Amino acid sequence: MAAVRADEILVPRGRPRGTARLSVWLDRERILGPVFVTPALLLLLLLVAYPFVMAVYFSLSNAFIGRPSEFIGIRNFVQLWDSDAFRQTFQNAFVFTGIAVVFKVVLGIVLALLLNEQLWFKRMIRGAVLLPWVIPTALSTLGWWWMFNSLYSVVNWTGIALGVMDPPGPNWLGQRYYAMAAVITVNIWRGLPFFALCILAALVAIPKELYEAAEADGAGANSRFWHITLPLLKPVLAVVVLFSTIFTFSDFNIVYVLTRGGPINSTHLFATLSRVLGIDTGRIGEGAAVSLYLFPLLVFVVWAQLRFVRKQAY
Amino acid sequence: MGSVNRREFLTATGAGLAGILAAGVPPARAQQREISYLCWNNFAPASDKKLAEIGQRFTKDTGVKLKIDHVSHMGPQQSKYASEVQTQAGHDLVEMRMHFPWLYEPQLVDVSDVVAELEKKYGKALSSAYEGGHVKGVWRAVPQYHTMFVPTYREDLFKKASLKVPDTWEELYTVGKELKKMGNPVGIPISQNYDSISTASPVLWSFGGMEVDKDGKTVRINSPATVQTIEWYKKMYRDCMEPEVLSWSDSSNNESIQQGKAGWVHNPLSAYIVARNRKLVTTDGMNHHRSLTGPHGRHETDVPRHIAIWKFSKNIEPAKEWIRYLLGKREVYDEYIMSGDAFNLPVYDKLQDHPVLKTDPKYAALKGEGIQYHTYGWPAPPSDKVQLITNTYLLPNMIAKAVTGTSTKDSIAWAETEMKKILAG
Repeated sequence: MAAVRADEILVPRGRPRGTARLSVWLDRERILGPVFVTPALLLLLLLVAYPFVMAVYFSLSNAFIGRPSEFIGIRNFVQLWDSDAFRQTFQNAFVFTGIAVVFKVVLGIVLALLLNEQLWFKRMIRGAVLLPWVIPTALSTLGWWWMFNSLYSVVNWTGIALGVMDPPGPNWLGQRYYAMAAVITVNIWRGLPFFALCILAALVAIPKELYEAAEADGAGANSRFWHITLPLLKPVLAVVVLFSTIFTFSDFNIVYVLTRGGPINSTHLFATLSRVLGIDTGRIGEGAAVSLYLFPLLVFVVWAQLRFVRKQAY
Repeated sequence: MGSVNRREFLTATGAGLAGILAAGVPPARAQQREISYLCWNNFAPASDKKLAEIGQRFTKDTGVKLKIDHVSHMGPQQSKYASEVQTQAGHDLVEMRMHFPWLYEPQLVDVSDVVAELEKKYGKALSSAYEGGHVKGVWRAVPQYHTMFVPTYREDLFKKASLKVPDTWEELYTVGKELKKMGNPVGIPISQNYDSISTASPVLWSFGGMEVDKDGKTVRINSPATVQTIEWYKKMYRDCMEPEVLSWSDSSNNESIQQGKAGWVHNPLSAYIVARNRKLVTTDGMNHHRSLTGPHGRHETDVPRHIAIWKFSKNIEPAKEWIRYLLGKREVYDEYIMSGDAFNLPVYDKLQDHPVLKTDPKYAALKGEGIQYHTYGWPAPPSDKVQLITNTYLLPNMIAKAVTGTSTKDSIAWAETEMKKILAG
């Protein structure tokens, strides 16, 4: 093959045409970036922004299933506060979330510390810990419903057999405090793996040298936990608590399956009440208002916690 | 078949395309008549099988293809309906219960013509079916069948203890005390479910009370009749029942009597039918008796089912054809009713003495029932506000508050305030 001299190569002159012009355009970062981002943006707009905007619109309207609706401003939000069921729900949501998240944090740290130790069948145990998170919530909650059921409560049967309960045992789902305890217990059981594994990941990343140095300086186990482990876990804990708070506030399955918000609305959460109003009764506007009631507060929580995380990181 | 040259092909396809454009309907659609029907999973599973079988015969006889889909009742059913209405797409026909025809009224086809044909043949639709499906002067759904809430009791235990079968709510208290002493309490749920309302409403009506007046605007829960109702519930809860009723779901009373615990429950026949089908040891001892009465008469609640057609359906006529086939042909309707034991009962006046009631001696008590049926919220006409009062369980919650320590006066005041807020909203 004959050699080709450099001055024989055809260099396109003037403006490139067709595909050549397109590739030149795409070579520019200013163009290529948005091209790559657009599909994701469209998805976000379609699957996140659109439903959210619709929900906001519904909450500000008197929307009723299948009927024309009108904009009514914040009337739904004001009227909701007048309802005993809503005020009870509001209180329930904070009690439920507060207690559940605190337990999940504490138990999550304990479980993660245990899993981080040299255990027999370590991998199998770590896998097994994930089980509550893997089983569909509605299905696993049905199991819990059976355990708490007034007719054949395994929990009561066991408690009575062990002599720690007097027959017939607590009416778990029929008395307000017991019912709340039951839904919180199931939520903790369900959410614990998320905490434990996230914290475990953070624990594994802590350099061993820090512990060795502390040990050399005579620091005991407690001291190492409070002065090394916990401070280094803080950013991860902040993110996990943030996510868990949002998920716990918006929990639906557990309450819906176990108590349907009863007895006397004592376990209703925003999502379950929203369903009753929006779907069962057709009052979409009110249902949407219930589900968005805490949106401003949650936005603030997200902002505050992300700010905290950034401070911790830098 | 001979070969087609290019010119012939272009001529034929061109003519076909012109025809399609002129008709404005694609050829497949023009030929195909297809409808889809969404209904719930019946508590009597044989009924669903029979429905599918009748559907196949309908397709064979009429050429209309029928697709039947089932969905669990209540939760998933309501979400499905709401999404179909919001998207204006989905099934052509839907099964409705309670106040659904009122809830979805603007979305439903006027089916007065079909109901008129059925009433001409079978007599008037029962009062509860009328209350549910006849919306503002127009039939928005065709009455299909209904399920009776009747007392189911352990006849063997009653005989053993020489207890008299009660006829009034007060007599139930008398026998209930004995039943509880025997370890077989009365099982009436007082929780956030529909069975709770299905008992509380007849008790309230029998004592002369109501939640909202028939004008649909005036709250009437604060009355001496409600006080009597609550006092009756209080003594029942204390002397005849167990606290477990506060957490019961719709199925708990069935399970309680099937297991041999409850001595008396208020429920449709499903408790007995399921026990019999599963050959449970309690089956032989179970029986039914007539609904109970009070100072203001015998009242019963009822949850009739209707079939409705969405307005957005493109197959309204074939959909009506299916309703006429299923309900309008006496032999087909009978076959359908018979398949559901006595859980599904005909909802038209002349069919009340139906052969299904003779298939088991334990259905005898059902004959003559249905005199004073009402849907939830009666005498107020169904509306979205009355539906909200029902769906937020204000009546059972008021009773639950009272039996767990709140004073009768405060419980009623609470319910009254909540009902007033709903009606004013």
